[in-house]
Amino acid sequence: MTKTNTLILIEHDRQQVKRPSLHAVTAAQQLGGDYSLLLLGSAVGEMAKSLLGYGAASLLVADHAELAEPLADRYALVIADAFQKCGATTLLGTSSTFSKDILPRAAALLDAPMLTDVMTIEGNGNSFTRPINAGSMIATVQLGSERRVLSIRASAFAAPTGNTAVSPIEQLAVDAALLPNGMQFVSREERISDRPDLTEARVVVGGGRPLKDKETFDRLVGGLADALGGAIGATRAAVDTGLAPNDYQIGQTGKVIAPDLYIALGISGAIQHLAGIKDSRVIIAINKDPDAPIFQMATYALVGDVHQVVPELIEALRDRE
Amino acid sequence: MTQPVEKILVAFKSVPDPYEAAAPGDSGSTAKSVINPFDEIAIEEALRIRERGETSEIVGVTIGPSSIDEQVRAAMAMGVDRAIRIDDARLLDPYAVARILRGVIEKEAPQLVLMGKQAVDDDSNQVGQMLAGLLGWPQATFVSKIELLDNRTRARCTRETDAGLEVIDVNLPAIITADLRLNEPRYVSLPGLIKARKKPIDVQTCQQLGVIVEPLTRLSSTARPARRSAGTRVESVAELVIKLKEEAKVL
Amino acid sequence: MDFSWSDQQRELLDAVSRFGREQLTYEVIENDRNAVFNHDAWKKCGEFGIQGLLVPTEYGGLGQDPLTTVAALERLGYACKDNGLLFSINAHMWTAVIPLVFNGTEAQKRKFLPGLCDGTLIGGNAMSEPNSGSDAFALATTATRAGDKYILNGSKIFCTNGPIADMLVVFANVDKSRGQDGITAFLVEKGAPGFDPSHKIEKMGVRTSPMAEVFFENCEVPAENLLGKEGGGAFLFTRSMTWERGCILASAVGSMQRLLEKCIRYANERKQGGQSIGKYQLVASKIVDMKLRVESARHILYHYGWVAGHRKAVYLEAAMTKLHLADAWVKCAEDAIQIHGGYGYMTEYEVERELRDAIGAKLYSGTSEIQRNIIASLIGL
Ligand SMILES: Cc1cc2nc3c(=O)[nH]c(=O)nc-3n(C[C@H](O)[C@H](O)[C@H](O)COP(=O)(O)OP(=O)(O)OC[C@H]3O[C@@H](n4cnc5c(N)ncnc54)[C@H](O)[C@@H]3O)c2cc1C
Ligand SMILES: Cc1cc2nc3c(=O)[nH]c(=O)nc-3n(C[C@H](O)[C@H](O)[C@H](O)COP(=O)(O)OP(=O)(O)OC[C@H]3O[C@@H](n4cnc5c(N)ncnc54)[C@H](O)[C@@H]3O)c2cc1C
Repeated sequence: MTKTNTLILIEHDRQQVKRPSLHAVTAAQQLGGDYSLLLLGSAVGEMAKSLLGYGAASLLVADHAELAEPLADRYALVIADAFQKCGATTLLGTSSTFSKDILPRAAALLDAPMLTDVMTIEGNGNSFTRPINAGSMIATVQLGSERRVLSIRASAFAAPTGNTAVSPIEQLAVDAALLPNGMQFVSREERISDRPDLTEARVVVGGGRPLKDKETFDRLVGGLADALGGAIGATRAAVDTGLAPNDYQIGQTGKVIAPDLYIALGISGAIQHLAGIKDSRVIIAINKDPDAPIFQMATYALVGDVHQVVPELIEALRDRE
Repeated sequence: MTQPVEKILVAFKSVPDPYEAAAPGDSGSTAKSVINPFDEIAIEEALRIRERGETSEIVGVTIGPSSIDEQVRAAMAMGVDRAIRIDDARLLDPYAVARILRGVIEKEAPQLVLMGKQAVDDDSNQVGQMLAGLLGWPQATFVSKIELLDNRTRARCTRETDAGLEVIDVNLPAIITADLRLNEPRYVSLPGLIKARKKPIDVQTCQQLGVIVEPLTRLSSTARPARRSAGTRVESVAELVIKLKEEAKVL
Repeated sequence: MDFSWSDQQRELLDAVSRFGREQLTYEVIENDRNAVFNHDAWKKCGEFGIQGLLVPTEYGGLGQDPLTTVAALERLGYACKDNGLLFSINAHMWTAVIPLVFNGTEAQKRKFLPGLCDGTLIGGNAMSEPNSGSDAFALATTATRAGDKYILNGSKIFCTNGPIADMLVVFANVDKSRGQDGITAFLVEKGAPGFDPSHKIEKMGVRTSPMAEVFFENCEVPAENLLGKEGGGAFLFTRSMTWERGCILASAVGSMQRLLEKCIRYANERKQGGQSIGKYQLVASKIVDMKLRVESARHILYHYGWVAGHRKAVYLEAAMTKLHLADAWVKCAEDAIQIHGGYGYMTEYEVERELRDAIGAKLYSGTSEIQRNIIASLIGL
């Protein structure tokens, strides 16, 4: 197997590679040395083809029916095995629930420490910054081990550019008999939406608790998102009251986004929520409380009742066309 | 190897109060600590499992110096039967924590281990997964629902993933990490708190557990991130649309 | 002299702050407008342990000392902006629970205290009458012994918790010829024949705390509900009144702190004439005075709490605490409105309600004039 310095775990949704997971390529380039990509799944041959032009030393593919679902016990084992075989020292991924589930387990198998949510790589690639305390502090950390596992924040590293050299594909043999069996996939709720993915969208409209009920949430938050071709997000309070599904939650314990434009509707601006929106280029906040903390970080602040202002705004945006 | 749940181990961490609300009249006091909110949810889940009659014992475990005993008592006040504190004042990284917890688990032999998905101070989201890897146990992370099946030898877990909800089964023993919507933890009542003062805390050391760990992560500094400054107030929707077009150029 | 909390006190006070913050931060504007009492919040406070703070553990309480108790109530007042709920809790603790703790028979304590502590029972008292307010002992309600019962006749006014109470401590005279030596306390339970607490009274502030005018028409009270001795009512009233004066505004210190922080935020945020209004000396000095008032209120309160835990006679400290806290609260709320300008006068900003809630403090538990009379006489005037 081709030797490499950094092994990058690629994430996909069984149809397509998740674009943010490629931002790890940029991080690997900053670390220096060679990098290889690792793709796991079942019948992923077509997808593998889309991964050839990123300058990797090789594209490792573990393709097996028993890997159809990303069960952490199996995946971590296969990843650790590949890591050892290619002689890598860094295992790299992009932060997401997929990588956060699997990478720490792989780290334990490799007897390596891990850093989550790396934002910058400094000092010869051995010093890292990462947010702590809901992003209210930035820690600089070093790792005192040869092997290490890192998950990077997609919003902190650019999409890969530059090196488009084509990589060879190497198939990893998977021995199904050796795979652990303690976890079984049961089902997944599939939601079909015409809206862009929250973590990839250029415009995101977020809604808070005062949106009252699902109908109002869909009409105001959904309506504004559609008027701008954007995605929908929500606060924990909004999710908890059933206004939006769980995976719409933005913040410390939800998704971290960095769109061009984030519009916060009836959101107080708790630090846990701000942790997820800080890197947005422009933030608009609409809140009826002039003291709402969200206004301290909004680019544009409008004091007003969402039930009144948002329909007006949707109207104004429509008129624009 | 599988046997029905009899003992649940809940790991919890003491963290600075995420709400940072200094109490009135406490001039110059140090920041308050609380049980990590996600771990509190894990404790609550263990209590509910016990209330359903699906386990007989809940053991709480935490790592830290005696200054975190207040959080240990809070866990006992919530209803944990017994609490262990591994006396270690070092700044540990998640991998070190996972290795210490492995030592505790080998000694206590629980059939189910619960903990929060992340600690809100360090935000690492690693310990449960690492522990599962070290023990070779199944894991279910970011869980918002737990159901014990097959005479309590298997757990059906709903996981909150980026793509929505996912359901998996894990054979026990297993590690399960709690997400926010698993439950709403009960609050510690004053009578509970006062009663917990009488329960002893089982203080142990890494040496006693036979675990030798050195953290492999070194924190060299922390700094406040550059603050976004407050921007411009706009008075009307019309003005907002103009700003978006002309100044921000996002339309 | 040492101003620090013990670890146990700190732990308890932190738990109270957290409970308040997580369980008692509901919206109050509507409830205030419609004079709605929050039963659910009452119940939670009881389960959490507030109502039983001072009650001995054998009767379902927590056996805390007065200092810890007032500090806990202060924390609650800081977290919870429903001053009416807190007022109801205070009335319950000082006018019903305290007399039972000090003067109840063993049977009465066993019967009422556990429920009064855990939030299942609500108590209050009925002293004031249409023609006797400050001069409370001039009351006209009578009680006549008839076998194993007493028969009460008369009416009471301004009875806090009246419409929702499960039991009231009612003061009546068993023998008018004995004057104040005839005054006697009774435990009157909801549903007693001839007892009508249903006439609600509308008021300016603490509107979420229900108040009633109460009528007794040949109201039958079993003899075992005599509280203390026949003729012991005046003494019993004075004792519980002393507790009440010292403690009833503990939660107000928390509200003052909340108002102070709100004013600081607003003064930094609000810009006029090109700068934050907090930069104007006239505004800043108002806030500085407010800060001084809050601190001195807190200190006199804690001192009262400490003294009450160490000696019996605390009339002077109690009266001074009540007088100072009531004045400080009203002044704070008034200044807070001024600092908020026209917005402070509008319901939505939740400052005007604080003023309405505060003003009653100069009236109940003895008016500020009466406190001054007491202090004057106790310092030899
Ligand atoms: C461990 C932990 C993790 C957490 N993680 C997250 C996380 O990842 N993401 C997250 O979002 N939260 C998180 N939270 C919760 C967070 O602390 C806040 O409770 C939450 O963000 C508040 O949501 P909100 O702004 O919708 O609601 P609220 O705080 O209730 O704010 C509502 C806002 O809307 C305004 N408003 C009300 N009515 C109107 C109206 N008609 N028009 C306009 N404005 C109006 C109000 O003035 C207020 O500012 C976490 C908390 C903890 C403890
Ligand atoms: C919100 C609220 C809740 C209450 N809850 C209760 C309750 O639960 N139970 C209960 O029994 N009562 C309750 N009261 C009644 C309260 O105790 C009386 O209002 C108070 O004692 C004053 O009596 P009054 O209203 O009859 O006024 P008055 O005694 O008629 O006084 C009128 C004015 O004359 C002044 N004054 C009277 N006597 C003197 C004097 N000797 N020297 C100088 N000035 C004097 C007073 O200070 C006042 O300014 C409550 C009152 C309020 C406002």
